Amino acid sequence: MTDLPRNQHIVASGLVAAVGAWVTYISYTQEPAAAFLFPRMISTVFVVLALWTFGKALLGKSQVGNGLSAQAMKNILPGLIVALIYIFWAAKGLGFYTASTITFFILLSLYDPAPHSEGRTWIKRIIITAGFLAVMYGLFAALLNVYTPREIFF
Amino acid sequence: MGDVFTPFNFMLLLIGTIGGLILGATPGLSPTMAVALLIPFTFRLEAAQGLILLGAAYTSTVAGGAVSAILLKIPGAPANIATTLDGHTMAQKGQGAKALQLSFLASAVGGVFGVLLLIFLTPVLAKWALAFGPSHLFWLAILGVTVIGSLDSSSLVKGLLSGCIGLWLATIGFDDIMGAQRFIFHPAVGGGINVIPALIGLFAIPQVITMFAKGRSSSGAEVIVVQKSPIKAAIQEVFSRKRALAIGTAVGSVIGLIPGVGGQIAGLVAYDQSKKFSPESEKFGTGHSEGVIAAEAANNAMVGPSLVPLLTLSIPGSPTAAVLLGGLLIHGIFPGSDLFDNHPDVAWTFINSMLIGQILMCIFGLYVAGLAASVARVPHSVMAAVVLGLAVFGSYSVQNSMGDVYVMASLGVGMYFLERFGFSAAPLVLGLILGPIAEANFIQGSMIANATSSVGSYFFTGPLNLTLIIIVVASIAYSAWMEVRNRRYTSKEEIMQ
Amino acid sequence: MKTWIAGAAMALMTLGTTASADGHGDFPERPIMMMVSYGAGGATDFQARIVTMTAGNEDALGMPVAIINKPGAGGRVGWNWFSSQAESDGYTLGAYNVPHFIAQSIEGGVDYSTDSFEPIANWGADPAVFVVAADSDFNSMADVVDYAKANPGGLTFSGAGLFVGHHIAALQLEKAAGVKLAYIPSNKGGAGAMKSVIAGEVLGGVNNLSDAFRAREAGNVKILGVFDLERNAFMEDVPTMQEQGFDIDNASVNFRGVMVPAGTPQGVIDHLAAVVPTMFENSRVQGKMSAGGSPMHVMNREEVLEMWAARQTTLEELLAGL
Repeated sequence: MTDLPRNQHIVASGLVAAVGAWVTYISYTQEPAAAFLFPRMISTVFVVLALWTFGKALLGKSQVGNGLSAQAMKNILPGLIVALIYIFWAAKGLGFYTASTITFFILLSLYDPAPHSEGRTWIKRIIITAGFLAVMYGLFAALLNVYTPREIFF
Repeated sequence: MGDVFTPFNFMLLLIGTIGGLILGATPGLSPTMAVALLIPFTFRLEAAQGLILLGAAYTSTVAGGAVSAILLKIPGAPANIATTLDGHTMAQKGQGAKALQLSFLASAVGGVFGVLLLIFLTPVLAKWALAFGPSHLFWLAILGVTVIGSLDSSSLVKGLLSGCIGLWLATIGFDDIMGAQRFIFHPAVGGGINVIPALIGLFAIPQVITMFAKGRSSSGAEVIVVQKSPIKAAIQEVFSRKRALAIGTAVGSVIGLIPGVGGQIAGLVAYDQSKKFSPESEKFGTGHSEGVIAAEAANNAMVGPSLVPLLTLSIPGSPTAAVLLGGLLIHGIFPGSDLFDNHPDVAWTFINSMLIGQILMCIFGLYVAGLAASVARVPHSVMAAVVLGLAVFGSYSVQNSMGDVYVMASLGVGMYFLERFGFSAAPLVLGLILGPIAEANFIQGSMIANATSSVGSYFFTGPLNLTLIIIVVASIAYSAWMEVRNRRYTSKEEIMQ
Repeated sequence: MKTWIAGAAMALMTLGTTASADGHGDFPERPIMMMVSYGAGGATDFQARIVTMTAGNEDALGMPVAIINKPGAGGRVGWNWFSSQAESDGYTLGAYNVPHFIAQSIEGGVDYSTDSFEPIANWGADPAVFVVAADSDFNSMADVVDYAKANPGGLTFSGAGLFVGHHIAALQLEKAAGVKLAYIPSNKGGAGAMKSVIAGEVLGGVNNLSDAFRAREAGNVKILGVFDLERNAFMEDVPTMQEQGFDIDNASVNFRGVMVPAGTPQGVIDHLAAVVPTMFENSRVQGKMSAGGSPMHVMNREEVLEMWAARQTTLEELLAGL
């Protein structure tokens, strides 16, 4: 617990302060002024609070929030990549149900502690995935009539 | 007094209640959308029958939202945000079933009280609902953001800052009154940020990533366990927490009445007040039963009074009331004096169906809690994948838009990292919800003020304005004082845990 | 799997053919979606749900129509989406509100104009009316205008937003009476504007005839005049603005109907244009609409095209003075 959380706090509050500064700049420069009256009010409060937070982080006085440990980042990365590919490409590219099934199965395999070498583990995972798919299809397609993007299969 | 108990009508009541619970628990379906989805079914029914279905569905969708708020930390609707604060923490401690039982029991108590108010005090309530003009609604929206900003974050400044980020996010897209485009840095936000997908993303995605962060761990503590909990114990618990129950019910029914703002913040203000009046206030946020009871009692107590402006003045006070208005109109019934004078049977059937719906909802809710207990252990790997899938489907289904899914995911991932540094999702979402209300009322208020008096006197004079301003200032001051005091007595290391 | 019809529709578009026998012979073969650019529960949403309720019948489209709400900024969010992102395959319909979208396109800042959409049919026409609270001192439009002359810019009155029918009516009133008024737009549509009249936050308001009719039944408002060429069947006792000496036509009347994005195959448009008006004529639809106090006015595609063009000219003149 030495400098890692402190540096992370500086980066995080720095980013928020940067967004605050950008919002304030836009609010005070864009036209029509009447439409930016309210954004001016909130961005002023926003930027003051953000600079306060940033200042505290620089002084190392940020007391709330633990930041991220290296181990946690290593754990998150594979799942996050799979999730982002699913959301930003596969859901539309492959069709909702196909992409959801594949993603569900991959995430299950990535984070399920059961040993990968056993056949039973894989059968269990397939069954859970199928169950999930059935519930989603029943709820959204059959009951609520939501028309989701479909490419391959359904 | 209306025929709720004929076999067919009672069946409709059952369908409405159970359907409402399922729809309410589905992320992405707010009570408004759920009721709108049921409208086509009422085309073929008689007026009174259609209203039984809608009334029962309305009451139970509001309560159903607590199911996903507690078990998945995805508030079914903005009204359920306060429920996540203690409800989900209880679920994490293995008390999910108990939290659900408490929430349904408290909902029923609050809900029945709210409907009774609707029955007996309608004329008084109607006056109260109209007392809030633009300046008051503006202050009320600001109050909502500051209350939650000081509530759900261990740092007041970061809580308020989170609220500001939410207020800013709300201004993205077209401005509601002038129609000017603001802050559109990507086409996906061209139409502004839709509240429901944002709500899902901000709560669900950090959950998913937190579960990822635990890695392929196999220790017993790393599974979500829902322990069976006897109903009798839950009933005793609810009624032993009289203070939370009373504050929740009272605050919910009074604030829930205010058109536009009420329903969104009733649960939250009730939670905040019962925390301030509780001798165990430090336990709030750590899975304390009073938190769940106050929040859920409040947001069901709101259901009855929120219909007062509709039933007496024919003005829908909330989006859901607007949909219900549609349900009345297709049968040629105009709410207002016409309803009670010429169709008293319809009016009373509707009101009774909400009353009985509350009780049925409670019974089924307790059953659902039992079911949840039988799905004893859900490993994190499964939970993460399920929540992710629900978040994607739920945010897409709001308006069949991929853009909403992208916004949901981006906000969610950003929120995860912000949460690591003491920012929190609840004030951000409240800012997003209340921002447009604050802005529109500010603009309308200033326009009226410019035409009649001055802006200063319009917003800063009058008993109601001053009361609201004092509450805003007091709530910030109180939280700042509490924070300073806690810091003095607690060492830095302890806070960092 | 993309449905076969969409592929065929794309092929038709690129070829620019007029073949009507192939490609859309079985249109529609899956449920259709209709975008409403106002929230669930609003007058447009409510009416859209009623007029499409018989779509699934065999003598209508044979497939149900699902309503999707894309509310925001007086309809701009929904219509922007509809003109730029909706698929032009006939499976995405949209509800239009005239003069709203035309006035917004003239004012600018949006991606659409009348060329972005192809009308199918019109279902309703809801004139604007001037309302005051039941306990108001105003009893005629003359009283209102006299007050405005005595207090220039001090007569506050509400309406559903800027560049919507109510705002057009307000502009016409200012011009015809030669006074300066304080128009206060609501962000919550007609219902929000009506609430501020009843609560006494403003001195009067422009509102939808259907909503005002209901509010008068409930004893909350007085209706002083109709912004239309003729008196309305729902309220024969309320005089038009022209009868009260103000030269105001029907430019603010809120026409509601169905359209598709430009680029939709002509065959699909023709099919819809033939079937949809008959759907509006359905007696069950008519019954539910009149029960709800919603004035119907069915127009076919040709009539709507004419009406759009006429509104475009009138509004350009009116808004040029701003």
